[in-house]
Amino acid sequence: MIETKQLKKVFRSSDIETVALAGINLRVEEGEFVSVMGPSGCGKTTLLNLLGMIDTATSGNYRFMGKDVFQLSEKQITRMRKQNIGFVFQNFNLIEELSILENIELPLIYQGVKKSERKKRVMEVIDRLEITHRKDLLPVQLSGGQQQRVAVARAIVTCPRLLLADEPTGNLDSMHGEEVMNILDELNKEGMTIVMVTHSHHDASYSRRIVHLFDGQIINENLNRI
Amino acid sequence: MWGSFFRMGFRILVRQRKYFLLNLVGLSIGIVAFVFIYLYVENALYYDRSWKNYPHIFRVNETYSTGGKEENMALTPYLLSNKLKDNFPGIIESTRLFFTDPSDKNDVSSVNFQGKMYDIPNLTIGDARIFKIFNYRFTEGNPDSCLLKPNSMVISVAMKQKIFGKNFALGEKLKTSIRTYTVTGVFDRKNRPSHLDFDAVISTNSLDKLEQKQLNTNWFWMNCYTYIELADSVDAGNLMRRINYLTDTAIGHYIKKQNFKIGGYIHLSLQPIQDIHFSQELLYDSHSNINITYLYIFIIVAFFILLMASINYVNFATARSLKRAREIGVRKVIGAFRKQLMVQFISESLIITFSAFILSLSLVELMIPAFNNLVNRQITLVDSLFSGSGLVFGFLLIAFMLLLALFSGSFPAFVISSLEPVEVLGGRGVVFKGKKPYSFTAIGLRKFLVVIQYFVAIGVITSTFIIFAQIHYVKNLPLGFVKKNIVVVNRPADTSFRGRVKGFVEALKSDSAIEQVATASNLPGYLIGKLLLRTGDSSSAHLQTMNGFFVGYHYFDVLKIPFVAGKDFSSFKKNDSTEYFILNQTAVKSLRLEHPLGSFLYTPSAKKGLVVGVVKDFKFSSLHQKVEPLVFVLSPHFVQYVVLRINPAKRHEALSHLQTVWGKFNKGYTLYYTFLDNKLDSLYRSDQKMLSLFSYFSLFVLLISALGLFGLSSFLIEQRTREISIRKVLGGSEKQIVLMLVKEYVALVLVAGILVSPVVYFFTKKWLSSFAYHIHLNVCYFVAGIGLVLLIAFVTVLLQALFMVRKRLAEALKYE
Repeated sequence: MIETKQLKKVFRSSDIETVALAGINLRVEEGEFVSVMGPSGCGKTTLLNLLGMIDTATSGNYRFMGKDVFQLSEKQITRMRKQNIGFVFQNFNLIEELSILENIELPLIYQGVKKSERKKRVMEVIDRLEITHRKDLLPVQLSGGQQQRVAVARAIVTCPRLLLADEPTGNLDSMHGEEVMNILDELNKEGMTIVMVTHSHHDASYSRRIVHLFDGQIINENLNRI
Repeated sequence: MWGSFFRMGFRILVRQRKYFLLNLVGLSIGIVAFVFIYLYVENALYYDRSWKNYPHIFRVNETYSTGGKEENMALTPYLLSNKLKDNFPGIIESTRLFFTDPSDKNDVSSVNFQGKMYDIPNLTIGDARIFKIFNYRFTEGNPDSCLLKPNSMVISVAMKQKIFGKNFALGEKLKTSIRTYTVTGVFDRKNRPSHLDFDAVISTNSLDKLEQKQLNTNWFWMNCYTYIELADSVDAGNLMRRINYLTDTAIGHYIKKQNFKIGGYIHLSLQPIQDIHFSQELLYDSHSNINITYLYIFIIVAFFILLMASINYVNFATARSLKRAREIGVRKVIGAFRKQLMVQFISESLIITFSAFILSLSLVELMIPAFNNLVNRQITLVDSLFSGSGLVFGFLLIAFMLLLALFSGSFPAFVISSLEPVEVLGGRGVVFKGKKPYSFTAIGLRKFLVVIQYFVAIGVITSTFIIFAQIHYVKNLPLGFVKKNIVVVNRPADTSFRGRVKGFVEALKSDSAIEQVATASNLPGYLIGKLLLRTGDSSSAHLQTMNGFFVGYHYFDVLKIPFVAGKDFSSFKKNDSTEYFILNQTAVKSLRLEHPLGSFLYTPSAKKGLVVGVVKDFKFSSLHQKVEPLVFVLSPHFVQYVVLRINPAKRHEALSHLQTVWGKFNKGYTLYYTFLDNKLDSLYRSDQKMLSLFSYFSLFVLLISALGLFGLSSFLIEQRTREISIRKVLGGSEKQIVLMLVKEYVALVLVAGILVSPVVYFFTKKWLSSFAYHIHLNVCYFVAGIGLVLLIAFVTVLLQALFMVRKRLAEALKYE
């Protein structure tokens, strides 16, 4: 599903060049659950942004579902992203002004799904993530764990084939973290491909494979014991 | 403490250049507009208040009626001034100035000095006592004696500079085609804003003795402005009654002596000199007079502009302060007291307001010549702002700036500095979490302020559209005669021209580029003569004042005025026993003539005139008035103007032929001519000026409101950067997101437009009703006004939104 070759990302400010990723070769198969680990500043988030096509690489090659991403137009990328990829962030990134329900519904609106269909699908995920009774609240009125559930709900409401999660438990206590990880695990078992950036070995243990990054390079890949 | 905060403030402002510049520019534009309007209004209110005894100076105006309409005018007979001085000891001084029409030029109004001709725009004739009442400062000569001798001329400093440069003018000779004047004084008009705007005065003693004698007996020859200065103890109302008693008696005697058969009345009134500038109803009044309603409108607009600039300022400050919440949190954590934070915010605010203050005053000083040119005034910033009553304004302005600085600085100072650091440093990056009610009012307040801005902007722009449409309408209204390609030649000041006029006209006709030539004393847009007529020859017959045009042959042909009955004068010869008249339709109606052709009309001296034709009504005076009764009198020898209709294709040829013929017939005299359409346009000069001022206002208002929205939306959209990115990540297209952002502002503009439209409707309708011929208000003007503002708002926000939406996604989503 994902295949990168010599993927490089360099940040330039006026006089400093920072190499965030120095040639990443990575393959992720359909249905895999991959964790990306490494110390702060090693390029984990950058890699995730590149895979999610919300940032562009400096050089290298990236094929997503058989297509060369760098050959696609901005519009095609947007379409590909909105049809196939869901995001979960460490800081949730919910829209403050919208209610829980509206937050979850938003990606469907942008996909042009009909209203009745939207309602059905939103209710499904809300049920599944057990946030039904809070659906009319604003994000600020929820705890961190609940907010992250909403974020996950929003990410999966479009039934993406790939879920990108950037430290999904980073802002949560262990109990709420555990809940979120269980959800991700369940989704993976249903066939969703997941790439997750994490600091936590515990969280990484849910995945089948761990990729270690250090200074912008993959230093080893190992398959998790099952 | 303040010193270090100012230093810090400077550094912050340098770093936040965009914020600083937006504020500086917005505030400066506001202050510049405000100061200009203030200067104009102050100058207008100061008109004729600089004379040493102004509360006791009056102009004598006249109301007269001889059947039919009552007329009010600023002119009185020449002899009045002396009669008043001689009969009423309460009148300390009295003086008179001849009425002259500055637009009506001939040789007398230009002078020759050492072989070069100089045009004196506004030349009048006055007596020796003018400068006793109107105490102009004299740079040369003695004000008391300068106008005593015949052929004396007093000139303004500006004229002196034009003719003599740096040299002294006193005693120098200035020649006109008929006379030589001696310069006996130079007066300075500076700091004396007045309805009097003469550039030079000739002594009344220069008039020939016979003319003076006639003037001194005739009560019906209204050609002078009469001014009187009263003793402190005199009550003007009481004096006026006594004056009227005197004049009634005198005029009664005069009528009896002259054997006039007229009824009617003349009534004199005293007008305080400082009221003249705003008087609008009098005939022959000063051209510089303004409608005081305009002044009120200007004041209102000035305050709105200042209000809008202040709103922007406060809006920017509050919007931006939210962004700085984190900085405040950090400062608090490292130990800043609230008071220190407040001092910091207020010092930043002070720096901005005072930079704007200095910048705007410099701009005003720079632009003041252009402004003076526009409004036709001589205003200087230093005189108006740093002396006398201006000083108060200066202080008020500074106080206002201080207040603005405090007010706009205090929002962040009081509100944000009161936030608990943990709230803003909580890592969530959003400030008013959990304080919804408050955050709601901040947004609500800003929206309210934006609506006010658009209220003003749409109001001013819609009004400008309507004024423009009306002026355009007036200029293009079919007048009932041809005004294009008509050249009006002023006759030379030489009385013997009368004998040459026939030859002159024939010579002009010899070139085919000149299509037709006529002589006349009156033309549309020029001064109108008055004539008393009655329909029968007994004194019981109805007597009426009519507008009179004294014209020669071919007049109707030149102006292409159509006849409805009868024919033009060409088959009639002027003789002593009978006059020949042509009436317009309104005159026929007002004289109640059933069969006008062939009927006779009589003058008060019992001379009769035959009506030979009736012309279609045409618009011969300002379109503020409806067409009035008008009678044409055949008078081929009474020539003030020679009127030419030229072939537009051969314009150049026609004018050069005119020049040649003039040179042949009037050697030594200068040719003055005007195009009739230009002269007619000048009737709407004050409306035109209003329009140009309004256009500038709307430009200012538009600029300020666009700037305000630009700033505000950029701050607000910036705050939503993250939200926008999230939406994009979730699959929102650029178009969807931009539309979402723009929609909110569009709604505000619409609300403002709906609120302001009735207000504009009310005021412009009132203004339009001052024209007898005017456009009808319809919804288009309002839609256009709202549309234009909408477009500007749309583009402003669109640019911002596009810029934000195009930002790199990953950047915006970075964890803070």
